[in-house]
Amino acid sequence: MIWNCAQIEERLSDHLDGMLNAEESRAFGDHVAGCVICAPLVQRVTTMVGRMRTLEPVEAPARLIPRILEQTLGPRTKSKKGWLVWLSPLLQPRFAMGGASLVATLFILIQGFGIHPTKLRAADLNPENLYHAANRRAHLVYARGAKFVNDLRVVYEIQSRLRPEAAPLQAPQEEKAPPPPNPQQKSEGEPHPGRSANDSLTELASLLIPVPRSLQ
Amino acid sequence: MEPDAQLVQLCIRGEGTAWEELVQRHARRVYNLCYRFTGNGTEAEDLSQEVFLRVYRTLGSYRSAYGGFATWLTSVTRNLLVDHYRRTRRDRLTDSLDDALPKLEAKPAAARPPDRMALASELSGQVHHALAQLSPELREAVILRDLQGLEYREIQQVLGVPEGTVKSRINRGRIELARTLEQMGLRPE
Repeated sequence: MIWNCAQIEERLSDHLDGMLNAEESRAFGDHVAGCVICAPLVQRVTTMVGRMRTLEPVEAPARLIPRILEQTLGPRTKSKKGWLVWLSPLLQPRFAMGGASLVATLFILIQGFGIHPTKLRAADLNPENLYHAANRRAHLVYARGAKFVNDLRVVYEIQSRLRPEAAPLQAPQEEKAPPPPNPQQKSEGEPHPGRSANDSLTELASLLIPVPRSLQ
Repeated sequence: MEPDAQLVQLCIRGEGTAWEELVQRHARRVYNLCYRFTGNGTEAEDLSQEVFLRVYRTLGSYRSAYGGFATWLTSVTRNLLVDHYRRTRRDRLTDSLDDALPKLEAKPAAARPPDRMALASELSGQVHHALAQLSPELREAVILRDLQGLEYREIQQVLGVPEGTVKSRINRGRIELARTLEQMGLRPE
């Protein structure tokens, strides 16, 4: 089989796309090898097709797909991300309150056990150490409370000593008949005329309860 | 049933996510086809939107027996591109007269917009401009075959012409394109 230039041009794409049979392919090759017109043509078209097939597709504008979806499905709302979808039921008020209560409880427990989150060590989580820390903290709280009550007692004692002694004695009489107002009576809080201030303070000092050094 | 056909069935039942998936899969290919055919990014974007709008409205008419969804979509795109070409032919004739004036003044480089100059420096740009020189029939055949990678049978379905015509158009299109590229200075290696 012998082909001419017109046949080569006509079957060029068949050659490029592998659609020639063996005999046609041989006839094609024989002619092109000896033809100064067809050889550059075949080379030119082969190169061009090869280059076109290596071309990367053009990137579509980023706004294209949202626009298409908006035109077809209507205005789009931003969908929540995966983990937010699962988290959304937990964002209800009842779960939020539960979470807040849990955090508050943990805070109280941490305070109660005397744990400092910033200085936390593995040994602090040992149950024995936790018990000792909680026990020490409870005793400290109790001792501070006891000291506070004693201090209050001293303060009341001082106040009662500094008041006139007649006031508590006159109290039962006041229930029966209130005495007439005496313009010459001493004002409340004034020391008793029969005793000096130094005597009162000396007596008060004996009432003070010694506070243990550990609680000072 | 191919995945696209399943998605189409879901779309017809009103599943928005299936339509979104279809658009995600094919938007780039449709845009490329429009871009290579029109040679203009803005026009390609508008036409791509129009294609999907038309597909969305006529999705019920798609039958998987006709061929793959991609082939059907390409066919819709091609028909719309031909309509667009006919609609804008008069505008292009006016534009071509306007474009001729700077050439007569021997200032072709200065008259070119910057984006054209950038494109001309690349092979993609050269192919782009060479394609624009082809007639629409040859251009679409070459684009479908060498840029979109469709088989002859698929191109025959898309263009709705006999196989012999498809072969002839592809062959003539390639030869003319190679000649144009050579005139533009692209030499075979």
